[in-house]
Amino acid sequence: MNSNPGQSYQQQASSNSERHDDDAALSEFLASLMDYNPTIPDELVEHYLAKSGFQCPDVRLTRLVAVATQKFIADVATESLQHCKARQSAVVKDKKQPKDKRLILTMEDLSKALREYGVNVKHQEYFADSPSAGLDPVSREE
Amino acid sequence: MSDGGGGTIKEAEINSNSTNYRHSKKKRSRNVDITHSVARVAVAQLLDDAGFQSFQLSALDALADVAVRYICDIGKTANLYANLAGRSQCNLFDVIQGLEDLGSVQGFPGASDVHRWLSSSGVVREVGRYIGESEEIPFAYSIPGFPVVKAREPRQSFAQTGMTPPSEHIPSWLPVFPDPKTYVNLHSGQEKALQNGEGENEQVEKDKDGSKGSVNSLQKITNGSDPSVAVNLGDARGKRSVGCNPFLAPPVQAGEKEVSPVVIPAKLLDGSFMQGNDHGVLDNHISVLDTFAPAIEGLNNGSKIDPDDGRKDVPFHRSSTVKFKIFGVRKSSLRSLSVPKQEVATSASWLGDADTEDDTKKRAEQILKQSFESDGADTVVN
Repeated sequence: MNSNPGQSYQQQASSNSERHDDDAALSEFLASLMDYNPTIPDELVEHYLAKSGFQCPDVRLTRLVAVATQKFIADVATESLQHCKARQSAVVKDKKQPKDKRLILTMEDLSKALREYGVNVKHQEYFADSPSAGLDPVSREE
Repeated sequence: MSDGGGGTIKEAEINSNSTNYRHSKKKRSRNVDITHSVARVAVAQLLDDAGFQSFQLSALDALADVAVRYICDIGKTANLYANLAGRSQCNLFDVIQGLEDLGSVQGFPGASDVHRWLSSSGVVREVGRYIGESEEIPFAYSIPGFPVVKAREPRQSFAQTGMTPPSEHIPSWLPVFPDPKTYVNLHSGQEKALQNGEGENEQVEKDKDGSKGSVNSLQKITNGSDPSVAVNLGDARGKRSVGCNPFLAPPVQAGEKEVSPVVIPAKLLDGSFMQGNDHGVLDNHISVLDTFAPAIEGLNNGSKIDPDDGRKDVPFHRSSTVKFKIFGVRKSSLRSLSVPKQEVATSASWLGDADTEDDTKKRAEQILKQSFESDGADTVVN
C-alpha cells in the first residue's frame, strides 16, 4: 500500500551482490511455498490456469498463484469483517435492539470491501435473499 | 385468423422458453459446476478463518466467483507477458508481473519505482509475509485431479513380445496385430447379412414391381408407343425399386413420373373380361384398349381403390394382353371359319377361363350345340 521510495532508491543503487541476494531470497521463498499448504486446492488453481491459457509444468508457480489468491480473499474477508463490525456498532449507537451480534457476511459489506480492490459488485435491488440467510446453521449449532 | 394463430404460437414459445429457463436454473442451482463448488468451500474456509460466523449464500457465491476470476486473470496476464517475451510457457517472472498488474489497483511496496527488479517485487514479499503470518488451513476435502488423465499403455511391438510378423514385409517394430479372428470373418459376415437383406427386399418388392412393370408396359401400349420399349422401361423401374435405396436408383426420365404401384380390384378385372369377350368377337384390336381402359383410368385417378381390400394381391398377369389376344384371336378365327360351337366351348374350358364367363353365354352355347347335334353327326366329327 505504502510505496517506500527510499528503499527502492537503495535497491536501484545496490550492487550485483544484492541482486544475488534477491535471487536467493526468491528461490528460498519458492521453496517455502512447497512447504505451505494453501486452502485453495492446487487442482482448482491448475484447472482455472489451464483454462486461461497458462502453461507451466512447475508446481511452485501454481502454488504461488494459489497463495496469492488466498491472500487476496483473506484481505477482502478481513476488510468486509471490519465493515460488518462497524455497521453493528453503528446499530448499537442508534439504540436499536442488538439482538443479533453474530458476524454475518452480507452483500453490502462484501461490495464495500471489494470496491476498494477494484471489483464493483452490486447487490441486486430486489434480490430475494432471505433475511434469515446464514442464521440457520448457527442456530442449529447452538 | 392468422394473427390469432401467430399469437398463440408466440405465447406457446414464450411459455416453453420460460419453462426451459426455469428448469435449467433449477438444475443449475442443484448441481453447480464442481469447480465452483470447490471454490465455494475454500472461500468459506477462508471466511471462517477471518472471523465470520456465518454468511449469506449470495455473498459467498459472489466472493467465490471473484476468487475464480482472480485466478483466471493471473493466468491470463502471465500468459500475456510470456507471449510478449516470445515464449509459450510461463515462468516465475511472468506470474510476478501478472500479480503486480492485478495489485496495482490496491498498490504494493515498490510500485512507484520503474527500475525495480522483479525478483525483489513488493507483491512477492507481501505474499511471503502472508505465508509467515497466516496459519495453514488445508482444504477440507481431498479432490481428484481434474481433468482425469489416464495413462495409456502402448501396445507391445512384435520385437518386444518375440513374435514374428505374419509376413516379411511387415517390420518387427510394428505393434502386434490383433487376433485374425477379429477381422477375417467380419467381411464375409457382413456380406451375408447384406445378401439376406437384399433377398428379403426382393421378396417384399416382387409383387409390387411385377404389377407395376406390367401396368407401365400396358400404359405404353395403349398410348401407341413401341411395346418393347415400354417393357424395357418397366423392367428398369422394377430393378430400381428392387434395390430399395432411393439414392442408388436410376434417374426418372424426362416427362416421366414416379407412380406408386396400383392394384386393380377383381371387380374391374371381371368387367374387363366381359368387355373383352364381347368386343373381341367383333374386333380384336379395339378389345385390348377397351379392356384396360378402366384400369388405366383408375391409374390416372390415383386409384380410389380400398387398399385394405382382400383382393389387393391379385396377380395382374391374369388379365395380361397375351392371354386376351389368344382368346380373342382363337375365338374370332373360330367364328370366321364357322367351326362348330361345341369346339368353342371345349376350347374355352381348356383355356381355364370358363369360370369367368357368364351363365347366359354358356346357356346360349349349349342351345347352339344341341341345335348342331340335331343337324347331323358330320359336323361333330369335323
